[in-house]
Order: sequence, then C-alpha cells, then structure tokens
Amino acid sequence: MIEGLTDYWQSLPVLTQDLLRLALLLLPAIVTGLAVVSGYRPFSLVGALLWRFRWTNVMFVLLIGVSVGIGVGLLAQERGLRRGTAKAAEKFDLIVAAPGSEITMLFAAVYLQPSDVPLLGGGIYHEIATNKRVSLAAPIAFGDSYAGAPIVGTTPQFIQHLTGDLAEGRLFAASHEAIAGSKVDLPLGTTYTPDHGIGDAVEENAHEGHESTIVGRMKPTGSPWDKAILVPVEAVWEVHGLANGHTPERIDQIGPPFDPDYFPGTPAVLVRAEALWENYALRSEFTRSDTMAFFPGAVLSRLHGLMGDIRQIMSMMAVITQVLVTAGVLTGLVVLTRLFARRLALLRALGAPRRFVFSVVWSYAATLILSGSLLGLAVGWVSVKIISDIVSARTDILVTASLGWPEFHLLAGFVSLTILLALLPAALILRRPVVTDLRG
Amino acid sequence: MTLPLTLRNLTVRASNGRVLLNVDDLEIRPGEAVGIRGPSGAGKSTLLYALCGLQPNSTGEIRWGETDILSLGEGQRAKFRRENVGIIFQDFLLFEELTALGNAALAAAFGEKKRRRPIRANVERMLGHLGIEDMTRSVDSFSGGERQRVAIARALAGDPAIILADEPTASLDREAADRLISDLTDLAREENKTFIAVSHDLKLLDRMDRVIEIIDGRLAPEAGND
Repeated sequence: MIEGLTDYWQSLPVLTQDLLRLALLLLPAIVTGLAVVSGYRPFSLVGALLWRFRWTNVMFVLLIGVSVGIGVGLLAQERGLRRGTAKAAEKFDLIVAAPGSEITMLFAAVYLQPSDVPLLGGGIYHEIATNKRVSLAAPIAFGDSYAGAPIVGTTPQFIQHLTGDLAEGRLFAASHEAIAGSKVDLPLGTTYTPDHGIGDAVEENAHEGHESTIVGRMKPTGSPWDKAILVPVEAVWEVHGLANGHTPERIDQIGPPFDPDYFPGTPAVLVRAEALWENYALRSEFTRSDTMAFFPGAVLSRLHGLMGDIRQIMSMMAVITQVLVTAGVLTGLVVLTRLFARRLALLRALGAPRRFVFSVVWSYAATLILSGSLLGLAVGWVSVKIISDIVSARTDILVTASLGWPEFHLLAGFVSLTILLALLPAALILRRPVVTDLRG
Repeated sequence: MTLPLTLRNLTVRASNGRVLLNVDDLEIRPGEAVGIRGPSGAGKSTLLYALCGLQPNSTGEIRWGETDILSLGEGQRAKFRRENVGIIFQDFLLFEELTALGNAALAAAFGEKKRRRPIRANVERMLGHLGIEDMTRSVDSFSGGERQRVAIARALAGDPAIILADEPTASLDREAADRLISDLTDLAREENKTFIAVSHDLKLLDRMDRVIEIIDGRLAPEAGND
C-alpha cells in the first residue's frame, strides 16, 4: 500500500508534486480558518480592530515579514550559490594535477583562488595529451596578475571550450597577446605588464619588459574566469624565464603540441574526452602515485553534500527562529487583546457566541500572520536579489538566486503552524471575566 | 413577546467569596419600566449584569418567563441575551471605526442567518426614528448624544423583550440626556419592552413606573412612582 503510494507519488510530474506539497502544508491553515469562521461574519470587526491599532499591527507585520524574509532569503541564497558554483565548474570535466588536495586544486583551477600547488612535469603532460581517449588537454598555469585580475596561461582550444566564440576581437596568436574576461575593464588594444603574484603577495615590476596586449574578449561565463586575463601558457613560462614548451625551432608556436623536454611544468591540466565513460577511464588511469585526477563536479558535489547538511540545519534554524518570533508576536497579541478586551466583552454581553468572539480574535491574528508572511516573501525576494549581487561581486561566481518551491513550502509550513498557534490567544480571551472587562 | 421577571434568593459573590448582592425577592411585570438607584458600590450594576446572566458566582433563581437563566450554561445564556436582551452602557461602547449602521447592526455579524435581515431592517428603522440620518458615517465623528442613540438602536436591533441600561445618561449633557430619556422610555412603552435602568438621573427615574433602591447589596423598601 505504502509502496504503491510512493510509486504513484514518484510518477507524478515535479510541478504537481510541488503544488500538492504546498496544498498539503497549507491545508491545516485552510481547514482551521474554515472551521473557525464558518457561519459568522467577523471581518468588519476584524477590520475595525486592525485599523484601531494600526501602528502596533504594522510593527507586528514588519516583525514577521523581516523574520520570514531573512529565513527564506537565506535558503534561496544557499541554493543559488550551489547552482552558481556548479555552473562555474561545468566546463571543467576532469582535472589532472600533482597529488594533493582536490579541494585546493578545485579552488585554484576552477575558481582561480590563489594557492601554491606542485607542478606536473612535461612527461606527464605528454602522456595525457597523447592518450588516445583525450580530445582536449589544456595546461592551466596561474600565479601572475594585473590590476587585481588573475592572469591564467592556457591554450586557444581551452578558451574555445570555455566560452565558444569571443564577444569581440580574436584569439591570441602570439605570446604577447591576451584575451580579457568579460568583466575585465581593459579595452581591446590595451597594453599591460603583468605583476608577479596575486593579491597581497603581488610583486610589481617583476616582469618588466614582458608586455602583453588585449586582442580579444570572452563572452560571460558566470565564473571567476570573467575577471581573469587569459594568455598563452607559453607567455606565463616566458615571463618567468623558462622554456616556452616548444623547441627553439618552433619558439613562436602557440598552443599544443608541447615538447616534453621544453615543458617547464603546469599546476593543472584540464582534460576532456568525448564520451563520459572515457572520462571515468582517464580518471582511473591518472589516479596514481605521481598524479591526481578528479572530476570538479564530484568534489563540488561532496562540498554541496556538506552544504546540504548545513542547509538542513539552516532550514531548521529558520523555522525555529520564525516560530520564536511568532511566539513573541502571539505573546504580544495576548497583551494586545487586552487593549480590546472591553470590546470583546461587549460582544459577549450582547450575546455573541463564544465561537464568534474566538473567530474575531483568531482572524485578527491570522490576518497579521498572513500579511507578515506575504511581506516576508517580498522581503526575501528583495534580499535574495541584493545578496546575490553582493556574492557575485565578491566571488565572481554568477549567483542568480530566486525564491522557489522550497521557500514556498517553508512559508506554507510556517503559516500553518503559526495559524494553529494563533488559536491560543483566541482561546485565552474567552477566559477573561466579561463583567470586569466591561467595567474597564 | 414580553417576559416577567421573578427573582428569588439571589446571592452574588466576589471571587474572594465576599457577598456583593443579596436579593430575597423581586418581581417585575412584563413591559414595566423600573429604575434602580443607590449609592456607588451598592450593587446596582451587579444586579443589572446578574439579570442578564453575565455576573459570575451568582446563586438563587433569576427567572425570565419560564427560563431560569442561572440554570443555563454559558452558551445558552448568550443565546438568551441574543434573543431577549438589549443592553445600553454608560459610555456607549461603540466600535469607533464602524459606521452607525455597522455598530447598531452588530448582532447581524453573529446572529442566526434568518435573523440577520430583520436585524438590519430594524436597525435602519430605529436609527431613522432616533434621528441618525447619515447611517454610513463612522461613529468616531458623532457627538455624545448621537453615539448614545446608536447604542440604543444596537440594543433594540434584535427586538428584545428586555432592555437593560447602565447609567445611560451619565456621559451626556442635560439636553442630550433629556432627549435620550424621552427616546428610551417612549420606545420601551411603544414596543412594550421591560425596561430596567440603573441611574442617578432623577429625570430618568421620574419617568419610570417604579424605582427600587439598593443599599449595601440589599433592596431597600420601595419608594416607587406607582
């Protein structure tokens, strides 16, 4: 029976599942609402109470709205960050590097975070490049920068793999030519001298005499490569006084093949095979004592798995925070209901059924909760946009977070829970002595 | 419908057990207008609230017609008030944000469905009769006299057999109070309502059929207007 239901559920389209989940989460609130107000017309009185204490009510709504907004905003942001990091890494099929930390290499090669890593020699590169399963083997060499933009040495083939056609200009054809990332603020034709190192460790004027000129610009990739300057890997070697990967007779060549004897070394090689199984085969082949091969996507997935746990904790914390805020609001409501206790006592004196008075107080509380939750959606939407822009600017990873079904589900659960909790102040008001309240 | 009141051995206590009111015997004829007077704290309002089943810790018998309201549960007492009692309070107790019509027809919000339309019709008639012309205006712009007339219309909205009033003229100036006294007593007579009012207002008490006095929670010998 349960298996059958599970199978049926799994067979439903994802959108239907999300809609049903939303409906199920809202069901307690809807059923409670219908049960509480059925047969009565409390809304004009609720409107009167809302207007009577409008500034206090606005404060309550703001409190709920900000709390809900932060909760859903954080969750959406975390999801957006995961998607952004995954998208930034999707062009990096397989990375082969010297043995060490996969995560360090992932950050260095994919996200261009500065780090000191050992180099792969020419022999190993040659072995990779000539492997019959490999369709692309691009050295990725980093360590220099200009005006804060990391300079990455690679091959024209890798640039085509990364971005396809250029946004403007052409690919580099000589070691003194460079391609700017889409967000690098250097117009075509700009000539610069690279600095040695990146960030605080930069050494200016270390590469005097090795000028390069921007000859092309990549299309946006949504990754830190948008803020990088890409040069021939030969240029990186040359500015450091090393051989440039080619024999003296072919000194002006740009790109593969490289001669193992003149190959100074590279921190990482981006490897690509046409078939997925071939990538797996290559990973096995180059996972050995002198090389490390890994799928950036798999490493990222492990990181996301860790983030997934954090996400669950964050979700729980978001719910707990919102429930605590709501508990505070409900406590405030209990206090607030004392302000209109005389009016509610009047209703009871006039013969209003207890359930009617109950429905007035509950509807009042439910209106505040629903208004706050809707405001929270708006706050969440705005905060997600703002935080996405900030994260994108800080990390260069394009984060396009937006509110989605998980946030709507969280909100629906929150609304149902708090609307059920709102039964409490409504019940408490009925315990108040009518005559005492009437006398004020 | 008219309802006679028979009250026997009524004792009302405070939550600490102190006796607030002790009435051995009181009868009020249907359609009779009765004033209740006495010093502050004597138990006048306590008696009024006890008569409509609102006063807790009451024992004895308060019988309206065949119904002893002290034997009813809270829900049944509310139903009794809804169907038979109209109450007018000293300081009007209106919902400032609602219109005159909304306040006076408050009972339509919680009354039985079949009673909603008659309540609204009755309220419109009553407000017109009491000189409230703009019924759709919010009562927060009304004068004290106008507010009290809205409160009267609310009390009479459900065409109750019993009207209870607690110091109905206390918040009004003399002119407004005189008009209210006329309105109330005339309406009660025209519609044959049992009208019981707690008041210090001698002009109001003069218009009543009978005045009873309460001193220290007990009925004093009657000095009525019979």
